[in-house]
Amino acid sequence: MSPDDSLNKISVPSAPITPWRMYVIFTVFAVGFIYIFCGLFYRQLIQSQDLIDQANSQSEVIVWRPPARGKIMDRNGRTLVENRVRWSVKANLLSLEGEIDKEYRTLVKAEKDKEDNLKINYENLHQQARVNVLNRWLKKIWFVIDESNQKKSPSDKKKVKFLANSPEREVNASALAKHMRETRILKFTLISDLTFPELRNQISDEEADRSIARFIEQFPVDGPITIESDMIRSYPFGSLACHTLGYVKDSNQLPPNFDANFEISFKKLSKSKYTGKVGAEGVEQTYDYALKGISGWERWTKTSAGYKRELLESYPSQTGSESMLSLDVNIQQAAEKALGSIKDSVGNPLPGAAIMMDVNSGEILAIVSQPNYNPNRLASKVTSKYYDEIQEQGGWMNRATQGLYAPGSTFKIITAIAGMRSGKIDYDDILECGPVLRVGNHDFPEHEPYGFGQVDVEKMLAISCNVWNYRVGLMVGPDLLAQEARRFGLDQTLLKTNPAVSGSENPNAYELPSPARRMIIPDSNYKERIGQGNWTGGDTVITAIGQGFILTTPLHMACFASSLARGETRTTPTIFHDPTRIPYHQDSRPIGLNRNQLNAIREGMIRCVTEGTARSIQIPGFQFAAKTGTAEYYKSGQKAHLAWIIGYAPAKNPQVAFAVLVEGQLDTNTWGGLTAGPVAQAMIKEWLNSKNSPSDE
Amino acid sequence: MNNHQKGAKASYIALIVFVLIWISGANALHRFTKETFAEFQAPALQIASKGSDLSRYWELKSRSNEELISASRDLARINAALELRLHSIDDIRRENTRLRENARYTSNSEFLTVVARVISRDTSSWWQKIIIRKGRNDGIRPGSPVVFSDKVIGRVSAVHLNISEVDLVTSPTFRCTAFLVGDEKRRIVYVKGDAANSLSPGRAKITGIPIDYNPPTGQPIKVLTTGLGGVFPSGLILGEVDGSIRMSTDDNYKVADLNPAKDLNMIEEVSVLVPQYPTANEILLAPSEKIKLEEFR
Repeated sequence: MSPDDSLNKISVPSAPITPWRMYVIFTVFAVGFIYIFCGLFYRQLIQSQDLIDQANSQSEVIVWRPPARGKIMDRNGRTLVENRVRWSVKANLLSLEGEIDKEYRTLVKAEKDKEDNLKINYENLHQQARVNVLNRWLKKIWFVIDESNQKKSPSDKKKVKFLANSPEREVNASALAKHMRETRILKFTLISDLTFPELRNQISDEEADRSIARFIEQFPVDGPITIESDMIRSYPFGSLACHTLGYVKDSNQLPPNFDANFEISFKKLSKSKYTGKVGAEGVEQTYDYALKGISGWERWTKTSAGYKRELLESYPSQTGSESMLSLDVNIQQAAEKALGSIKDSVGNPLPGAAIMMDVNSGEILAIVSQPNYNPNRLASKVTSKYYDEIQEQGGWMNRATQGLYAPGSTFKIITAIAGMRSGKIDYDDILECGPVLRVGNHDFPEHEPYGFGQVDVEKMLAISCNVWNYRVGLMVGPDLLAQEARRFGLDQTLLKTNPAVSGSENPNAYELPSPARRMIIPDSNYKERIGQGNWTGGDTVITAIGQGFILTTPLHMACFASSLARGETRTTPTIFHDPTRIPYHQDSRPIGLNRNQLNAIREGMIRCVTEGTARSIQIPGFQFAAKTGTAEYYKSGQKAHLAWIIGYAPAKNPQVAFAVLVEGQLDTNTWGGLTAGPVAQAMIKEWLNSKNSPSDE
Repeated sequence: MNNHQKGAKASYIALIVFVLIWISGANALHRFTKETFAEFQAPALQIASKGSDLSRYWELKSRSNEELISASRDLARINAALELRLHSIDDIRRENTRLRENARYTSNSEFLTVVARVISRDTSSWWQKIIIRKGRNDGIRPGSPVVFSDKVIGRVSAVHLNISEVDLVTSPTFRCTAFLVGDEKRRIVYVKGDAANSLSPGRAKITGIPIDYNPPTGQPIKVLTTGLGGVFPSGLILGEVDGSIRMSTDDNYKVADLNPAKDLNMIEEVSVLVPQYPTANEILLAPSEKIKLEEFR
């Protein structure tokens, strides 16, 4: 074989590979790799943050840390509302999972063993297992807490259970189901407050402390049942000024002002339901925006079952701002004590209201409404039982700012002012006042059977003569009477927020919630407007003595007394204390009487105390001015009486004004001077004490 | 496969079987093993402790006569001072007895005192525990308070036949309630052991101090047991507040560190206050005591 032959044999392959097949294979592989590479690129670089967020949202959770609310103090810095540590017993359901599973299997087995069993509801059995296990632990907890279980000696066989009536003796199954749905990430509360505020009438402070101590010292530190503390609202004076202070209730509304970057950083993380407190009623409600503080949070990893596992980071909460009210605890206590001592035939305190305010600044020193409630009993949880109890007694209503009443004879001051300002009478004019005044076909009586004879302005105010007011009312007419009442603001809504003092950003807010808005100052068209026919002379004389259609609040009458003391028409009341406040009373004008006329009014009010209808409440060595009133009102279709007194003190150079109202009942003997007077007297005495007994000039 | 390989294989199988039994075994098995280990270890600890006492004895015996005379003289002086004090205490005791008789007041002590020597201590960052040379045979029960004079040392956490384990005040598993001296309202605070790091001695933490608590100025703030929890008698000294009282992170209350009343590294002898009657916690947590919950209902 020649060399060429051998070359030919090598260069020609026996089965040549066609190139297009290779290209197809390479292309398929190349496309595949490019696809995978692009996919990786997309997932790792473009989608990475989303995927991290997605993973985190499934494994991490934000748990809110509610802030402590700010303190509320009186004008002298005494604490009216603060926070106290609340010790709660909680169950860590994650630690109890084994025990719950065991119980669940037992329940399932028992259910399957039943002959008539058709369909097993496994979810219900799981829930039942949780309830059973927690009930067993709860039994142990109560066993430790129960004082009677501590056997002092073998002979001591006392079996009385401590706090046997506590509603938390057994697990609330629906509360547990709600917890599993909404707040599984948190521990389940078995006993919400070991000091048992709702049962404080049954147990002493030491017994409450004892239950905390017994749990702490007798339960293991690292067990599934733990004790945790948080802050809860505390009202050291109990029910004192409850309508002004208000109370707090549960809220799921998150305080807004936390970390500014929070939403951006944790946008996609799941967040636990916020369980904090929000103000309800009183300053707690109106000043909530400042008192509530700033919420904190914790970022936790969670288990697949939704329980929290490990704390990753946290952001502390910040306590709310402090607030200083204009109230004076001592005067408030004196007023509440005096008002509380006025009782009906079965010994229940009569409903009523009392107010004392600083004449110059308009700051309210005491504001009382009765019946009241104890906000400490609402601080942990607002129970329907206690809520209904307050509702039944009428304790929710702030009678001082919301109660609408006929002002009775205290309105006679306005009738006198209207008479003098209209020129129909003067300060020294004398009117003949018999036992009745006939208007139309009706005799309007005097409260003195033989009448008072010759009466001028001073005497009228001292003895509260009706006939004088009937006659002046008829001279002046209903429209001028109404105009005068409106000039003193008796139909204006009070307690509008002053942003400079309260810090509120809402100029239309009020310092106390829902102040009365439907005051009635009737004029000659009023009856027609409400569809009760034409206005008559009888309506006018009734209005002139502060009865009939006219309705206003005790706070309005206190403001009226304060304006009168300054010789002006309006007083802007406030519940906040500001020592740097420059007295300013919105829309206030001079009273519009000459010196003699104003003196007549003032002297008449002084004589009311020294010799008139309020003589029973004189304070030896101290002179003050007052006007009493006893108005009729209908209760359950029968006549009862409202007792009023308004005034100011001292008589010369007045510094405080007051108004007191007591709602008489059908079977009570209620009179302005005798019933409401002592409350005013108690407030003045306490104010004198706090002022180091200043004497009148 | 030779014999050596077979033996090794059998060992591995035995080990795996043992691990499986241990994992799947009941709690009772674990408890039994732990208890057996503790009882097995106890004689060794006791011998070591007694050996230590003996060496201390011989070390003292080797001192010169001059040293002994000097020490004896010092002791005589201390004795004289103590006798004087004892005399005044006798007067107080007589007065107390007289007043009790006048008031017809009788009270039974709620605790029996058992004095025990410390045979081992572990105050490392994790355990904060001591072992004492008295156990179940001496009447010690779990949960009993352990004191030195009027100072709290800790609480019995586990009891074996002849030895017991005591969680010190600084142990993370120790907690109790206390009053701070100077708080006129006598509000309870919460004392809990706090694991120390490796470079510093153990500490405990006081939490729940009311915000308006004003500490007395110029004197250390003593922390006393409340006696409300049913475990510790009242008025025992837990220690003193160490450093300043500060606000908690959430501004809810104040917190402080507690410096234990007794140097826990130097304790040689303690007293165990054994309650005369079982506490609720013993009944709940020690079923072996054979006391049924229902008995007390």
